Amino acid sequence: MSTTVTQDMSFLYLIASASVLVQLVMLVLVLISFFSWWFIFRKHFVIRNEIRKTDDFEDIFWRGVDLNALHQRITSARYDSGSLERIFAAGFGEFNKHAAGSDLDAVMESTRRAMRATYQREMDYLESHLSFLATVGSVSPYIGLLGTVWGIMNSFRSLANVTQATIAHVAPGIAEALIATAMGLFAAIPAVVAYNRYASSTDQLATRFESFMEELSNVLQRRAAG
Amino acid sequence: MSVTALRNSSYSEPRILLAGVLAGLVHLVFIALLIFGLNWKDHPPEGMMVEIWTELPKPIQEPVKTQPPPKQQTKPAPEPLKPKPEPEPPKPESVKPEPAKPAPRQAAVTPPVKKPDITMQQKPEPIKEIKPDLEQQKKKEQERLKELEKQKELEKKKELEKQKELEKQKELAAQRQREQAAKAQREAEAQRAAQQAAARNLVTNEISKYKALILAKIRSRIVMPPDLPGNPIAEFSVTLLPGGDILDVRLTKSSGHAVFDNAVERAIFLSKPLPLPPDPALFHEFRNLNITVHYRE
Repeated sequence: MSTTVTQDMSFLYLIASASVLVQLVMLVLVLISFFSWWFIFRKHFVIRNEIRKTDDFEDIFWRGVDLNALHQRITSARYDSGSLERIFAAGFGEFNKHAAGSDLDAVMESTRRAMRATYQREMDYLESHLSFLATVGSVSPYIGLLGTVWGIMNSFRSLANVTQATIAHVAPGIAEALIATAMGLFAAIPAVVAYNRYASSTDQLATRFESFMEELSNVLQRRAAG
Repeated sequence: MSVTALRNSSYSEPRILLAGVLAGLVHLVFIALLIFGLNWKDHPPEGMMVEIWTELPKPIQEPVKTQPPPKQQTKPAPEPLKPKPEPEPPKPESVKPEPAKPAPRQAAVTPPVKKPDITMQQKPEPIKEIKPDLEQQKKKEQERLKELEKQKELEKKKELEKQKELEKQKELAAQRQREQAAKAQREAEAQRAAQQAAARNLVTNEISKYKALILAKIRSRIVMPPDLPGNPIAEFSVTLLPGGDILDVRLTKSSGHAVFDNAVERAIFLSKPLPLPPDPALFHEFRNLNITVHYRE
């Protein structure tokens, strides 16, 4: 056969011989994948740290420590504090600012507001970058698919110039195009898994924070009344 | 106050760098898997070629080719036997030096032949004084010893020469052996070449046979236009597919009569599939066929 196709089918050769758009798609996917994995690890460390600190603080709080001393310790060692500690500090600080004789309902209301504001901020911090993971999970397969479709289009177009069509003429082009899909899936699958996992973790933390806020306002109300 | 301070401090995220390093590691592992884990074929499979090869007469021809080599091996075998007798002659020659040893004995005997001279000299000795006799005797003994030494040296030289001759003979025998081996090789090569030439002839015969078959088939399908002057020749270039299907027919040289050209072209298309040799290795000879059709045979 005069047209025996003895092309190098190694991975790097396939990438190097791909068309510009496919290469661009691959570059974008590599970047996306890298950032998504970076955020996956960052969020992993952040959420694990947060869960540990919440456990520790709840443990300390329900053991019946003096609340003033606890507040003092948190505000002085602020750099090592967790979200729940900061919520407690905000609420307790707000509660302490009010004079002893003021209206209890108004005091509790403002305390709750202070805690809720801190809670929102903390949740915002915990959920940051999760939307990026969700976007990567849903979009990167499409980006990969775009590269693949483009590559297959090119390989079929080059097939039109060949009189005797064999699968060997199309195979390298399709293989190189499918690399784009593989990269897209490689970026998407971990992102989706991590998003779901971290979303449920932050949800759990949120419910813990909310119930703690309710319990703390009860404790403070009893303290003000008693 | 304390709240804002707390908020600002809260975003000192733990282990950002470590996360980046881990992300890089994950990608390195993935790329390594892609490059080394997957078996990226360097060459696409040759397809049906392999299966057809096993079924075709080639394997029958190959045993024919493989059988001759044993013949070649058997023929050179007797030839190495011939050189064996030749190394044997040196052995008789090596025996000769043993009879040559008696020669030194003869040489040892010869001194007594010279002794008469000494005896002749000894005879006048009594005439002379005893002292000179003793001196002469000593001198003679010394001379004898010298002569003996000379003879020994001569013998040694002779032996050395004989050894040299033996070595030369051995070398000659080895050379002969080498020459014979080379001859055998040459003969074997010649035989091989002849066989290859024969195989080539077979191949060319096969090719020409099938080309004739193709031409005959096309000729049989031509509806000859009647009454053309002379013997016009139409030349076509035909591109074939494996299996004998016709991919393309091009008129390379017109006969000058469009009727005849068209008739031949139609005949070429009608005669598909064209007869092709069953050996796919020969197909490349038929991929682009040049067909010349004469109006009159």
